[in-house]
Amino acid sequence: MSSKPNLDTTAPFEHPLYKTLEKLPGLSLGTASIDDLLAWGLTNSLWVFPMATSCCGIELMASAASRVDLDRMGTIVRATPRQADVMVVAGTITVKMAPRVLKLWEQMPEPKWCIAMGSCAISGDFYRNLYSVIPGIDTVIPVDVYVPGCPPNPEALMHGLLRLQEKVHAARRGVKVVRDPNPELMAITKPSIPRLCDAERTEELTRAQADDAMRVTEEQTSEPLEVAYAPSTPLPPVFAPDFAGLLRELGVDASSTEGPPIVPLARHYELARRLKDLGYRQYVSVVASHWPAGLGRKGKDDTEPEHYEIAYILRTVGRGSRVATWVVRAAIGEPVPTLFPLFAGADWQEREQYDLVGVRFAGHPDLRRLMMAENYVGHPLRRDFPSDAPAAPWR
Amino acid sequence: MLRTLQVERRVDPHLSIDRYDPEAELLLLHFGPQHPATHGVFRMDLYLDGEIVVKCVPYVGYLHRAVEKLCEVLTYSQVTPIVDKNDYVSPMTNEQAINLAFEKLLGLEVPRRARWIRTVFAEMQRIASHLLWLGTFAMDLGGALGGGATVFMHAFRERESIMDLFEEVSGSRFHYNTHTIGGNRHDIPAGWSGRVKQALDVIEARIGEYEAMTLENRIFHERTRGVGVLDGTLALELGITGPNLRASGVDHDLRRDAPFHAYDEITVNVITAEGGDCLARTQVRMGELRESIRIVRAMIDSIPEGPINGGKPIKLVNSIKIPAGQTYVAMETPRGELGTYLIADGSPKAQRLKIRPPSLHALSAMPYILPGGTVSDALAILGSLDPIMGEVDR
Repeated sequence: MSSKPNLDTTAPFEHPLYKTLEKLPGLSLGTASIDDLLAWGLTNSLWVFPMATSCCGIELMASAASRVDLDRMGTIVRATPRQADVMVVAGTITVKMAPRVLKLWEQMPEPKWCIAMGSCAISGDFYRNLYSVIPGIDTVIPVDVYVPGCPPNPEALMHGLLRLQEKVHAARRGVKVVRDPNPELMAITKPSIPRLCDAERTEELTRAQADDAMRVTEEQTSEPLEVAYAPSTPLPPVFAPDFAGLLRELGVDASSTEGPPIVPLARHYELARRLKDLGYRQYVSVVASHWPAGLGRKGKDDTEPEHYEIAYILRTVGRGSRVATWVVRAAIGEPVPTLFPLFAGADWQEREQYDLVGVRFAGHPDLRRLMMAENYVGHPLRRDFPSDAPAAPWR
Repeated sequence: MLRTLQVERRVDPHLSIDRYDPEAELLLLHFGPQHPATHGVFRMDLYLDGEIVVKCVPYVGYLHRAVEKLCEVLTYSQVTPIVDKNDYVSPMTNEQAINLAFEKLLGLEVPRRARWIRTVFAEMQRIASHLLWLGTFAMDLGGALGGGATVFMHAFRERESIMDLFEEVSGSRFHYNTHTIGGNRHDIPAGWSGRVKQALDVIEARIGEYEAMTLENRIFHERTRGVGVLDGTLALELGITGPNLRASGVDHDLRRDAPFHAYDEITVNVITAEGGDCLARTQVRMGELRESIRIVRAMIDSIPEGPINGGKPIKLVNSIKIPAGQTYVAMETPRGELGTYLIADGSPKAQRLKIRPPSLHALSAMPYILPGGTVSDALAILGSLDPIMGEVDR
């Protein structure tokens, strides 16, 4: 029986049985192998898990909304990884978020695919050399389709999904689609840690990332601190808010043209309290900045020692709103009185400045990091902190 | 951190925090950072007694992209496209806020035409932003509102028309990069104002439909009235601005009270509401949709002629050097007061640039207004505060 066809490679309609049946009069016949049926079903029901973090997430939403409507391609957005086939990583992935992405990827059932949507997910874009952003999601999970753009149009995402459908269909039929090897391009876009597809990727790195992902939630949960908050009494009506007069009264020199008046640390809290009574009722912001030795208000020729400057901003409410801005100076390590008893908003703002710049606020009830993880070392917005500091094992 | 606020939060006494038994064991629910209703990557730990939230500990920073560090690395003219990505629902106002700070320290006069165009852009962006908020908020409230996705689909349909108009101006659906130091990069194209008016007609006609689906919907009222009550005094202390503040009865809007762009030449009616709950925040934003449409209509036909950029043409990116100094400049975005604190040292790069995001302050209200509510209230409150995590974390 040398003429026996190889059923694995021949198309169904070339099967002798099909040819025989086809000749029968009055009979119309269609056949399909189970594999074809599965490939067809799998291809046309790619359910998407939106790993949407930032701007691309909005375009992902627009893709699912009325104009583009991904549903007609059989693509339904599922909010849980357990029901999805495709993870669309839409947006910048930070060092703090990357373990969660890996954890969610592990929760998706096989077979699964990943689309990197937008420049940030592909390579980190212009954030790739910064201390808190990972240089592309392909250093964490394997990516099947890259959709470039900042952000990609909904049409581009749809094109990416169609390409993924081709890939899924081919894979089901036993054909592996790999992306064009372009060593030159791969060298230019080389991230700070090896991608999963790179030859120099080590097992240790993959394991370190997986370990970090497993323990991250437990490590980064802090006990809630109980602080009773009583709403302050209704504030008096707005008087003529004379900021300059108050500064004169407190003996502050307000003649500097290079910036807001510098208030002595000892009088700082009193100034804030009296401003609040005067009608500066809205807490606007606090800005800490680090000035290394030799850098002062007059530029680089200054001879001031290393110090922090902390600028405070308050505002009056209603017509003709005015802003009061003042600055206090603190040596490195010198605590600055918190404004938390006066303004509840100082809580997060001072935490952020402590986290990023390193200023200590005395009397703050809960001085934890706000932006970076609890166990992060260093204060990134200090002038001597390198902008491209590594954060193993993610960047 | 938990504070117990001594005000009655719920209309329904059965859901009052007074019923919380301090001896009972609490359930800790990690909510986020990946959750479809957290509007990005926001995490809060909810301590639950049954379905009642007893404590709420928010965590931010999952999208901390180090924008402020990047602003110290890049030159001034390179910063504009970066800050586009902060509040990615309203990129136009981000660009404007940062350039206002540069222009102030440089002492640059922005031409009148550019100021008018900026105002029109800001108001159209407000419409687009509030439409997106409406769609996502209604989706957060879930199945009660016609399958949840109905309002979302409607709102996105109208939002697309504004995206198209901006694309016509700048060539991009968002992340426009259309403002520069001293003015605008792109002038408005011929016939654009007519198309704007057409789009506004369509949107205005459909606002009634949205109101029928939300503000006139019994279920919507049940989910939002008395939920997440934010006291006006607390809102001011927390630094909450924008529609969230105005919904707490505080009559404050930088467009009227500290005018920038061309707002000193036009009348802005400030929309406020009493109550400070999720319903009031919805009412304010719906009112602002109509008000923004009115402002754009009033301005679009009378944009003055003239140049759109008052700065000198830039040959090299390093050619803009801002003299040493410090300044704080703020403007009203769809989410509130977006401020820029700039410390310049005379070089082509900023020494320190801090962006004061309205969303961060809005989110900091969560531990105050959530306890006493249920888990489903958490979603309603979070949605009604309209935080954008790109701006919160920067």
